[in-house]
Amino acid sequence: MSNFFTHHPSSYRDPSGFVFEKEGTLYRQVNISFKENFDFFIESGCYRQLAEKGLLIRHEQINKNLTGEDNYYTTLKPEKISFVSYPYEWSFDMLKDAALLTLCLAREALDHGMILKDATPYNIQWHWGKLIFIDTLSFEKFNEEPWIAYRQFCENFLGPLLIMHYSKMSLPQLQLAWPDGIPLPVIKSLLPKRSRFSFHTYLHIHLHTKVSASQKNNTVAPKQFPKQKMLNLISSLEILVKNLKIPVQQTAWSEYYEEASKRNDYLEQKKKIIHEWLNEIQDLKTAADLGANEGEFSQLLSSKNIQTVAADFDPYCINKLYLIIKKRREKNIQPIVLDLSTPSPAIGVNNEERNSFLNRTHVDLALALALVHHLAIGKNIPLEMVASFFQQMSKYLIIEFVPKEDEKIQLMLSGRKDIYVEYDEKYFEQAFGKYYTVRSKQSIEGSLRILYLLVKI
Amino acid sequence: MHHFLYIDPGSGSYLVQVIVAGALGVVFFFRNIKNYIKAFFTRPNKKSDDNPPA
Repeated sequence: MSNFFTHHPSSYRDPSGFVFEKEGTLYRQVNISFKENFDFFIESGCYRQLAEKGLLIRHEQINKNLTGEDNYYTTLKPEKISFVSYPYEWSFDMLKDAALLTLCLAREALDHGMILKDATPYNIQWHWGKLIFIDTLSFEKFNEEPWIAYRQFCENFLGPLLIMHYSKMSLPQLQLAWPDGIPLPVIKSLLPKRSRFSFHTYLHIHLHTKVSASQKNNTVAPKQFPKQKMLNLISSLEILVKNLKIPVQQTAWSEYYEEASKRNDYLEQKKKIIHEWLNEIQDLKTAADLGANEGEFSQLLSSKNIQTVAADFDPYCINKLYLIIKKRREKNIQPIVLDLSTPSPAIGVNNEERNSFLNRTHVDLALALALVHHLAIGKNIPLEMVASFFQQMSKYLIIEFVPKEDEKIQLMLSGRKDIYVEYDEKYFEQAFGKYYTVRSKQSIEGSLRILYLLVKI
Repeated sequence: MHHFLYIDPGSGSYLVQVIVAGALGVVFFFRNIKNYIKAFFTRPNKKSDDNPPA
């Protein structure tokens, strides 16, 4: 076996080890400098307990130097994550649960004489229906020092959650603006003055900001920080995070299905057609439900054991879907907040650290139901460009064409000039015909809409 | 310590934890006494679900 491998572009910060890809498989190398901590992590039973509780990704230890590097200690082969998502694609309760998971891990680690040295949401991923911690090398011996990841936790989790809580708005975009965490002074200035009267908020944000600013140029020797103090700190953060919430908001898209189902069995008809098509296509394992709303069709895909990414630009719908998935322990649906007219970009060092949505998304089937008119008419994106976008992510595409005569488009056009002279069934077929062949085409009874099953050329 | 190389904890974030933990020590001490007294006079409740959130 050759020593050729590719260093994962996001795995460069931690000197304990790194993630690399070799012959299509992802591994994690543990460096010799981290030997003592890693052995302790395994021997103390910390790993076993976290893995058994489903808090940390399981791995297989391979005692083989696959990189050929001198600083090798051991190699781990973690379970594969099917679709990588980032905190700027999560809804409020997803970020909140990720924060609680981080604190739970810190507490569990302490029970084994260890501490969590990183508190970044990028170490958390979606795996079989829930959030899971993926960085196995984030645990080191607790030396009775203050928490090294405290500021990181406050800036990456607490800050965005508090801003959303006090503004009563879902703002996943904040994480994209500050991918390494919102600086404490920014968090403080975005929070209302009354937030000072919340004891735990005062301690972790207001006081934290003040003390940090006053200590900028002084080097302070690490203080003694016994386990009980650390547990108190974690408890305080837990109490604060658990009490944060955003109100359930009625957006233009909530209750969509309820309204849609009243339209002459429209929803049932659509489900029936898609159900039949799904039975016809062989070997469907993964799908992306684009414009998923509250995930009615994602659940149809999931019932066929298809792992589905359910994307919608409305964070309130995605939050609702997340809470349903959590309650039902649904394993096949991963909800993400995503604006399809401006999908998540590639960010970070070399623009490679966090992959763009399109580079990450390669599925067997894409579902675009009641969506195309929002892109073509709502956002003025020509249908050729919409078709080109979809063809990059899947072989099969189930798409719904909504003609201009449809009441919903008439509503969209009521307040603006109709410049979409070309927009009709023929133009739609021409545009998508550049990339796809039509395998099936069926009108949805009781409406003017048409469903297409397209296969990429 | 190697971890200083990749996370800058900001010296203030260390100091503030010492102050915060001091304040929390006092608050939790009295909270525990309150809970103890409350538990003494009330029937034991079914323990709430402390399972991890994810």
